Amino acid sequence: MFDLTGFFNPESVAVIGASEKPGKLSGIILQNLLKACYKGNLYPINPSYKEIFGLKCFPSITEIPERVSLAIIVIPAPKVPKVLQECGEKRIGSVIIVSSGFRETGKDGAQLEKEIKDIGKKYGIRIIGPNCMGIYDPNSCIDTFFIPPERMGRPCSGEVAILSQSGSFAVTFLDILAYEGVGVSKIVNYGNSVDIGESELLRYLADDEKTKVVALYIESVDDGRGFVEASSYCSKRKAVVAFKAGKREAGIAAARSHTGAMAGKYEIYKAAFRKAGIVEAETYGELLDACKIFSFQKPAKGNRVLIVTDGGGIGVAIADLCGDYDLDVVGLSSDIKDRIKKKLPPFYSLNNPIDLTGSATDDEYGLVIKEALKGDHYDLAIVTALWGPPALSDRLIDVIAEAAEVTGKPIIICSIGGKFTMSRKGLFEKKGLPVFPSPERSVKAASLLVKRGMIKT
Amino acid sequence: MYHGLCIRYHVSRPELQNIMEKAREIVNKALSLKRPLLEPEAKALINSIGITTPSFDIANDSEEAVEIAKSIGYPVVLKVISPDIIHKTDVGGIILGAKNEKQVRRDYSKIIENIKRKIPEAKIEGVLIERLATPSLEVIIGGLRDSQFGPTIMLGLGGIFTEILKDLSFRLTPVTKGETFGMMEELKGCPLLNGYRGSKPLDKESLSDAMVSISNLMTEVEEIKEIDLNPVFLYPKGLTAVDARVILG
Repeated sequence: MFDLTGFFNPESVAVIGASEKPGKLSGIILQNLLKACYKGNLYPINPSYKEIFGLKCFPSITEIPERVSLAIIVIPAPKVPKVLQECGEKRIGSVIIVSSGFRETGKDGAQLEKEIKDIGKKYGIRIIGPNCMGIYDPNSCIDTFFIPPERMGRPCSGEVAILSQSGSFAVTFLDILAYEGVGVSKIVNYGNSVDIGESELLRYLADDEKTKVVALYIESVDDGRGFVEASSYCSKRKAVVAFKAGKREAGIAAARSHTGAMAGKYEIYKAAFRKAGIVEAETYGELLDACKIFSFQKPAKGNRVLIVTDGGGIGVAIADLCGDYDLDVVGLSSDIKDRIKKKLPPFYSLNNPIDLTGSATDDEYGLVIKEALKGDHYDLAIVTALWGPPALSDRLIDVIAEAAEVTGKPIIICSIGGKFTMSRKGLFEKKGLPVFPSPERSVKAASLLVKRGMIKT
Repeated sequence: MYHGLCIRYHVSRPELQNIMEKAREIVNKALSLKRPLLEPEAKALINSIGITTPSFDIANDSEEAVEIAKSIGYPVVLKVISPDIIHKTDVGGIILGAKNEKQVRRDYSKIIENIKRKIPEAKIEGVLIERLATPSLEVIIGGLRDSQFGPTIMLGLGGIFTEILKDLSFRLTPVTKGETFGMMEELKGCPLLNGYRGSKPLDKESLSDAMVSISNLMTEVEEIKEIDLNPVFLYPKGLTAVDARVILG
């Protein structure tokens, strides 16, 4: 298989159509590359300039004396075939075509797209795009997302890779992940995918050391079985989670008991995800939470969940929701009860949920989590940390983190509240404990860990 | 006569190919005649892969109808066989429950008369005489070749479960037996399979076998675009596919 390193870690980059004019996409891309830590050589290409942002500008790609590993094309669509041909002559292996105006615009655009496809094949150029935002890689600092960082944040380096058919989705996701503090390894928006699509990227990411989680935004795939094979390969190595958009088609509404009419594409996609070992995120928000939970925690070995709370009501709400998501709120064993009964005040409720009430202390949290998760009675825990009890201090965060480490089981923090509570979110997450601000999101995150745990790896 | 009965088996690869050869023969014959599979052919097809149907045979006149009914046993169902009729019930092409010779003759004439009146241009290729199956829980087993993902299999519970509640489960084929049990568990109506309020648990093992057979058929015989076994009566022991429809393409 072709190695896609040329895209993610190129030695030198040319930006074709670079410009200093404010608001030009090519200018933003060049500036982003300049401002970021990209270490390789940068070559702006534009016959109208001698110099752009202090860099020497070349009239065409063929005039660059050195080798170029990646070309980013940002020029009007009708001019792309000629320039791509020049890239071929210059023996550039990897090209990102940001320009739009291809298949998505109609018949003429489709003809242009066919032309670039043929040129790519002829010269053996691998192409991402056209009509795409391209790549963001915080490790090599390749960033072709043509939106200034003031408008759209860039996440730090982390373990989540995102593949998105949609540009707007990729952009908003990038921004939110940056805001949420979830790091990424790579983000690719491949647009019309004239050459490289999700299947090849999945195979690449499967063996990418920096990636632990792959999140997909999918509207449709061209080669269904190819996609299933690539995803199966990837899901044996990494957590793969997908959000399918475009779920409701006219066909599904047909109320006839006829397989074809009832199937609807979405049902088949669900079946495909299942075959491929992909965990499905049913909503946009769930995909975001999946990125977070999979990058923070390892999969759960089973569905038996322990709930620890200092607020009875929230504990009950969590327990209720667990039933909806196939999580087993199994009661404490007599062993566990015996172990913790001696060390706790008599008015604490020793069931599942364990309710430490408003008298809770930091150490009691640590004690019950450690004792209950010890052995093989529970697979994971949802720990509610409401900051009301006067005895609780910031040390609670260290105590829970230590309990998580000792027991080796995934712990999800459900911390609900306003300003103060949110100010503690970052402290938990710095210690590797993911915080979700509602019972619903905490329980869904737990169920994602369980679903992932059920996939054969 | 087609007994509509088959022995359950777990097959090796060469055996599977052997079985699929028979299925392919039936399919190829219809393809060469450029027409869809007729109901008796669809039933012979699923018999060939190990799925039980009620016993049936084809009558070309009322005398033959009586003979067949006698040999398969009463009560029987009479159904018109015609490549030009898709919804047989709508045109009076199905009459259920003939209990004796007289009723078979009467139903036979009635069906021919109904078709001649309602769709005179329809080509009649005989009348299917079939043993009336004992009703039980209805399930639907379907197969669909998806343009993107290829062959798939569907399981649903019959009647309102499928039509109103859309209680269905899909998988890409081939499926393992384990996957078929997963599909059953996925149905909201799954408790009905396990027996409820004193009714006996139904034969999930047979259902699983039938599903694996349909999955194999969809995987191996690419000419089949769609298959519907609807309804299948599922019993405490065994099952029977009461209707089968196959679309080629």
